[in-house]
Amino acid sequence: MQFEWTEEQDSFRHKIREFLHANLPDDWEKFSEHGPASPALTAFARGFCVKLAEAGLLFPHWPQDMGGEGLGPWEQQILSEEMWIAGEPRGGQYMNVNWIGPTLQKYGTAEQKARYLEPITQGESLWCQGFSEPDAGSDLASLRTRAVLTDGHYVINGQKIWTSYAGLADTCFLLTRTSDDRKKGITIVLVPMDTPGITVRQIPSLIGEGDIHEVFFDDVTVPETARFGEEGQAWEIVAYSLRNERLGIPRFVLARAALDRAVAMLQDRGDFAREHVRMEAARCAALCEGAGTANYAVVQKRTEGLTIGAESSSARYATVMAERAVCDFVVEFLPEALAGGSPYLKMHHQRGIVAGIAAGSAEIQLNIIASDVLELPREPR
Amino acid sequence: MQLALNEDQRQVLDFVEALARPFASAPLHDAGLALESAELDAALVENGFLDVQAVEELGPVTAALVVEKLARLPFAVEAAFSALVRPLIDPHLPRPICLVEEGRTRTPVRFLRPGATVVVVGASGVRSFTAREEQIAPAQEDTLYAYPVAFLADMPEAMTLHAADPAEITRAWRVAMAAEAAGLLGAALASTVTYVSERKQFGRPLATFQAMRHRLAEAQVLTNCAYWLAMRAAATGEAADAAMALLHAQEAARRVCYDYHQFLGGMGMTLEHPLHLWTYRLKLLTSELGGRGEQGLAAAAALWGK
Repeated sequence: MQFEWTEEQDSFRHKIREFLHANLPDDWEKFSEHGPASPALTAFARGFCVKLAEAGLLFPHWPQDMGGEGLGPWEQQILSEEMWIAGEPRGGQYMNVNWIGPTLQKYGTAEQKARYLEPITQGESLWCQGFSEPDAGSDLASLRTRAVLTDGHYVINGQKIWTSYAGLADTCFLLTRTSDDRKKGITIVLVPMDTPGITVRQIPSLIGEGDIHEVFFDDVTVPETARFGEEGQAWEIVAYSLRNERLGIPRFVLARAALDRAVAMLQDRGDFAREHVRMEAARCAALCEGAGTANYAVVQKRTEGLTIGAESSSARYATVMAERAVCDFVVEFLPEALAGGSPYLKMHHQRGIVAGIAAGSAEIQLNIIASDVLELPREPR
Repeated sequence: MQLALNEDQRQVLDFVEALARPFASAPLHDAGLALESAELDAALVENGFLDVQAVEELGPVTAALVVEKLARLPFAVEAAFSALVRPLIDPHLPRPICLVEEGRTRTPVRFLRPGATVVVVGASGVRSFTAREEQIAPAQEDTLYAYPVAFLADMPEAMTLHAADPAEITRAWRVAMAAEAAGLLGAALASTVTYVSERKQFGRPLATFQAMRHRLAEAQVLTNCAYWLAMRAAATGEAADAAMALLHAQEAARRVCYDYHQFLGGMGMTLEHPLHLWTYRLKLLTSELGGRGEQGLAAAAALWGK
């Protein structure tokens, strides 16, 4: 057991930082107040990701037969950390390289790979994921957006909600219902977002502008070849895709960076001498570092090729606690930071509220820990 | 970054597990709260498990792993200071090792008995003496803690001054207590989980009620982080890591101990159920080195300076 990065890992991290330093504009910190899914940041990301691709930093963790460099899970972790700590200048394209690309490679038809993989590798495409619905949030398997196969075409009707990037995405990775069999009746369809019948409505939010949307599908018609995998295979494919993503965004690094930033501001004005402030800052740091090591324990399993199980839910929940503690610290001791005093801390705070809600709520993580880590007898259903 | 156990560590833990097996369940006891075993202690010494830190390919992480594992037993054993702190002072100091802070010698001292080495750490340096009967005031009859404890009634004028740096000893002290607390947290959680999975009310196991499941799951998250922070602190030797590890463990102990007794209902009030062996040890550890406030201040100083 050792907790140091290797020289190669350090220099990989250094390379990313150099790249960021050279390619982020001077006013980036202020600019990143626009959320990752905002029109401004999405537009920026289109240029930025092209440069990332040129520098070999867009998908270095992909296997060589997909055009990547086959770097391991630690390098993918380092890449994710450095991007998130910088305010995620890849915008929504982080999803492309983390799971959409690898999933296309594994389950896509030749036509789908030819059509979608290249734009991803060139940093030129943006996807959205059509999962949640008004009546299917944590209970995702109850989704009702219907796809009916008629004369070689799927006709799609229904509604999605909380869809990030929908306003600007080219393609939707859409979960639809093709039969009433709960999980086995769900089918993935890849839908171009300019298909007639799609209406996107932005939902004003606390996270920053343009982040979440409602998407309506009214007789949206796509050819049968837009189906991804077999009918009813969605649950299996999504479980596979998200296996690599179960840890989620490495929020603990941004939380820790925000904490350091807040401490530096407090020190500057002489407010960090107060013992209760120092104590609370240390408590936040311990939560961030605890979440970090818990996350790393999961990455370790990935490096050994082991199946990632419920321990990723435990790491996720630890991250949520750390994120909230730092947000609370800033509000309590530096309230002006969120009223114009610090774009970086505001950016962190805006994104922080998402931690326990998106990509599987904190309560779902607790359910998984209870059943699969503690192995408590199941709740009656 | 390499967070898996290596082959040596796996072997050591397997040996410890085999050796500790006869001591894995708690006998019914009514003589006070603490439970010790001279036999277990002797076996650990004989097999060198408390001296693994000095072995080059094992080192402090293995020592912390051993301490964490032993802390899960219902029997209290003085492993933490012997395994993680003694090597930095003098590997030949007689056991048990009792650490006290200079100026804070009124605290209950774990494992204090005639022949124990008392190490006083503070501004005057790292000093030690071998405790004699007349220097010890027993507390065992009245103590609520599940460790054997006693008080220092008197300190000798002359002590052995060691070359060790008090700050470094305090760091290792934090690592030792964090590793011990991680094991106690793990064992207390496991004990509670077993009980609520078997105990039925309203026709089903208590553990099927979400009110309990979520609190236990949160406790698992805290316990998992306590484990990893302790191991990291052992590995890096950094003052900040050590302070954060003990801070988190002390915070976690405060969060979970009452919940666990609560979940056991009436059984949570008895000596018949062994839960208290871990929780009432944790309670004492929350006061170690001035409690979480002082760990917090130490961590803040190490992380950010003034």
